[in-house]
Amino acid sequence: MDELTGYFLYFLSLLTVGGIYAIIALGLNVQWGFAGLFNVGIAGFVAVGAYTYALLTTANSTFHYGGLELPLAVGAFAAMITSGLVAGIVGLICIRLRSDYLAIATIGIAEIIKLILKNETDVTNGPRGINKIPRAWEHLTEERFYTNAPMTWIADATTWQSFFASLPRWWWQPMFALTVLVSLYIIYRALEQARVSPWGRMMTAIREREPAARAAGKNVTNRRIEAFIVGAVIMGFAGALFAQHLRLIDPTNTFDPAKMTFLVWVMLIIGGSGNNRGAMLGGFLIWFIWSASELVINGGIDLFRTFFTTVDVGILRTRAGFLRMLLIGLALQFILQRYPNGILPEARPAASGNPKK
Amino acid sequence: MWESFGFEFFNFYFIPGLVLGCIYALGAIGITLTFGILRFANFAHGEVMMTGTYLTWTFSMVFATMFGISLHPLLAAIPAIPATILLALFIDRYFYKPFRKSATIMVVIASFGMMLVVRSLVQVIWGPNQIVFVKGIAKPNEAVRDFTSSFDMMLLIPNKHFWIVAGTIIIMGLLVYLLGYTRIGKAMRAVSDSPDLANVTGIDVDYVMRATWIVGATCALAAGVFLSMDTQVLETTMGFRMLLPMFAAAILGGIGRPFGAVFGGLVIGLAEELSAYPWIGDTPLLSPGYKTGVAFAIMVFMLIVRPSGLFKGRTF
Amino acid sequence: MKKVLVLSVAAMSFAGVASADVKIGNPLALTGPIPDLVAPMALAVDLAEKHINEQGGLFAGGEKFEIVRADSACDPVAAVDAVTKLINVNGVAAILGPVCSGATIAQAESVSIPAGVVTLSVAASSPAISTMESGTDLVFRAAASDAYQGVALADLVIGKGINEIAVSYANDDYNAAIAKVFADSFTEKGGKITANEAHEPNKASYRSEVATLGGTSDNLALFAYYGSGGITILRNSLETGAFTSFIGADGMLAQEVIDQIGAENLTDATFTTSASDTEAKSFSAWKVLADEAGVPASDPFVPNSYDATFMLALAIEKAGSGDRDKIAPALREIANAPGEVILPGEFAKAKKILADGGDIHYAGAAGPQDFDDNGDVAGFFSQSTVVDGEWKAELLK
Repeated sequence: MDELTGYFLYFLSLLTVGGIYAIIALGLNVQWGFAGLFNVGIAGFVAVGAYTYALLTTANSTFHYGGLELPLAVGAFAAMITSGLVAGIVGLICIRLRSDYLAIATIGIAEIIKLILKNETDVTNGPRGINKIPRAWEHLTEERFYTNAPMTWIADATTWQSFFASLPRWWWQPMFALTVLVSLYIIYRALEQARVSPWGRMMTAIREREPAARAAGKNVTNRRIEAFIVGAVIMGFAGALFAQHLRLIDPTNTFDPAKMTFLVWVMLIIGGSGNNRGAMLGGFLIWFIWSASELVINGGIDLFRTFFTTVDVGILRTRAGFLRMLLIGLALQFILQRYPNGILPEARPAASGNPKK
Repeated sequence: MWESFGFEFFNFYFIPGLVLGCIYALGAIGITLTFGILRFANFAHGEVMMTGTYLTWTFSMVFATMFGISLHPLLAAIPAIPATILLALFIDRYFYKPFRKSATIMVVIASFGMMLVVRSLVQVIWGPNQIVFVKGIAKPNEAVRDFTSSFDMMLLIPNKHFWIVAGTIIIMGLLVYLLGYTRIGKAMRAVSDSPDLANVTGIDVDYVMRATWIVGATCALAAGVFLSMDTQVLETTMGFRMLLPMFAAAILGGIGRPFGAVFGGLVIGLAEELSAYPWIGDTPLLSPGYKTGVAFAIMVFMLIVRPSGLFKGRTF
Repeated sequence: MKKVLVLSVAAMSFAGVASADVKIGNPLALTGPIPDLVAPMALAVDLAEKHINEQGGLFAGGEKFEIVRADSACDPVAAVDAVTKLINVNGVAAILGPVCSGATIAQAESVSIPAGVVTLSVAASSPAISTMESGTDLVFRAAASDAYQGVALADLVIGKGINEIAVSYANDDYNAAIAKVFADSFTEKGGKITANEAHEPNKASYRSEVATLGGTSDNLALFAYYGSGGITILRNSLETGAFTSFIGADGMLAQEVIDQIGAENLTDATFTTSASDTEAKSFSAWKVLADEAGVPASDPFVPNSYDATFMLALAIEKAGSGDRDKIAPALREIANAPGEVILPGEFAKAKKILADGGDIHYAGAAGPQDFDDNGDVAGFFSQSTVVDGEWKAELLK
């Protein structure tokens, strides 16, 4: 029974993190798939969202600003706004740049964001990061929530305490995973509507035939900035969710571009760029592979050890982490070459006569 | 501090900035050539640099065990040159060439992926630990110090810095010759300016591309060896650390302009070291925590204000 | 494709094989910013595992004590993912690790505390960990909080007669924090901090930082990891004569530093770490074992890693089963007085005492390792200087 619960909880964590990554991939799809913007600064926008959420919702602490203890939903909403604002500023400056240049500029900007978060220690606690970030559903079990409104409207503090004691330890995990998945679904539906709307069709036109779109009088720059901001807003929201999942964020390691930005691009490319479903599929699939590969490799080493009992596997185990990255990198190269359009090809809005399909 | 009679600025800020600039410059050459001729930002460039340096170390180890003599890094680098070139060509043939006809983003993602693949490969083979390249500390060159102090100056420059600057100048000279006076050099410049026109005039674009990788890899190897001579260690992240400043240098100088890249590299190296100088008062002008930000800020500034770079390179 | 899937599932199931053996999850920062620091720590953990299994294993039946290693990469994302798998798929009894404070706090708050699993970190030193829990007693550590070491270091410097010092710290979660504690404490005790600047880790040259700081004082308080720029700063300082005297903490205390810089250049360098007094019996016992196995006995957090592994095994032995709920109280009992003193490597002796119903008190290689109410260990520290080409530690009283 315990073992099954264990596997179930692991599966939930895969859905949760995979879902968060899928949301980021959807955001990237707005920027890349809709508008053709090569954003390699994803980690920066996610970080902005995560830090905003953390600073607004955590309790008073000697280590960093905040102590506002705002409701979680407000925190998430604020995360979207700040991320959008940053994207707006960045967009106004950089949007005219062509693909490779925009890529390098966005990396540079993400690095600068990271350095600011790291060095402004009074505000963000610098490299130490912000912890005790309240997680949706789990936060209900924390004293500062059940001793105050609105929970006290339903029952008093002691009733809540015994209620929570009666639930299994992990009761909030399915709820949190569900929250992530429901958010994902809502964002997906919204983007699908956008895709087949006049706005969406115009974005496709701009992406494919920019001179013609300009000639038809469309303000290409403004539309691009819009797409950039919308994508960043989605990424900011994902950042708030990420902060909740991890409960501690730090500027250096949590938002490491080599992992986060790279992984999200892999997800979009493999899943199918320009395609919202592809983005989600890529998100879940790549995260599953990334997480499960550690188990596979460790299992493989254990298997190896049972056959060759005399060999010291110490070095193997230490270097296994690098092996994992190597294999994932090679797998990506393989998929890039064999299936360049990704698993799910792009669905053109005009071609699918019935937008609801 | 060693007494330097007012020459602190020169000895402790300017010279180190220049040395760092030389390293950035050599790395940026490969990047700008790849950007100009092959038309994409090669994120794996830093890793090729790093791998070449690891190979140099391996050759010197092998040599030492076989013959008992410990080679100067620059000598050990010689057999590493063909090895690094082969690595660059191998990567191009199997991982970049399939995307020649596709959208640029595919090959950029491929290069990002190769960056991780090559680095992980080195980490698996050589391990993640730091490896000592040169032991001990490099004291300033006594001859130069004594000579200059007799003129009321004081130049404190360790030998390794002389090697690095001299080496860079020599390579620059070779590059001038290659690009200005040889057929292949002129062909490279032609393809960089306009590949279609170059094709029409009968230039073998494939051959030029291979030449680009060869030149880029050699300069990268030089940059890596110089970097290891300066820091006296080898580690697997040395390539990635240098990558973004090298991109900044290439952009600053103008894409496709190798000498622009050199200039850009020197500017960025100097800017990084000089930004921590106490220009005003006693504390550094910019908190050293932000030193890495200097290269990025310059880069972003250039991209916005003048994307063609200082020397009018390609814009896309 | 199908074959790959089938093989993967098969391999994965090897990871989750259940048996009477007791498994301990060991997330360490194998990849990430400090792999060279972590490699010897992993060796120490493996060494402890070996000793335990060689000396009779766990319980009367000699069950196997198994370490399941995972990669936490000093990164909250990887740590949370790794520990989720360790707890849920591998079914470990406790978590031994991670290394970095950020990873430790993240995995504890996100996974292990909600799951009711004990965490015994080998190196996390953030002061935030002391007050992290409310209502649970699940997070312990085998390395002293920065809040203590910074103060001890300040005492040491004042004691050496140094009244003004410049500070340079690597801007990461460990070094920035201990630098702050040191600076505050030093100023409080009447010293003067002439300059206090952060530096980014992993840069090729720190000459400009060193030059600017060097103008203010001859003494440098250096807080960095040796492999991520610490050695470079030391080298740049010595090359330019910017500083003559160096003090610092754990991150710089490695044989690597002597190998690369040269013992003759390190005559005035003093670094502290959690107490491993080379005179103490527990350290000598550890050193014998470490030298025999080729593990560097004094490298940062290496003795702590051995201690933590050993203590978890003793706790499980005392608890009598791999039951997660029993480990925390057992951990306190074996680590704290009263009880017969057990030195590193004496598992068989401890096992016999416990089987007879007695009490034990483990004295660790890195210090007494007695847990206080917060699960912290007290700040006993030693200062190390270079003697005969090696670091020699001397307990700070």
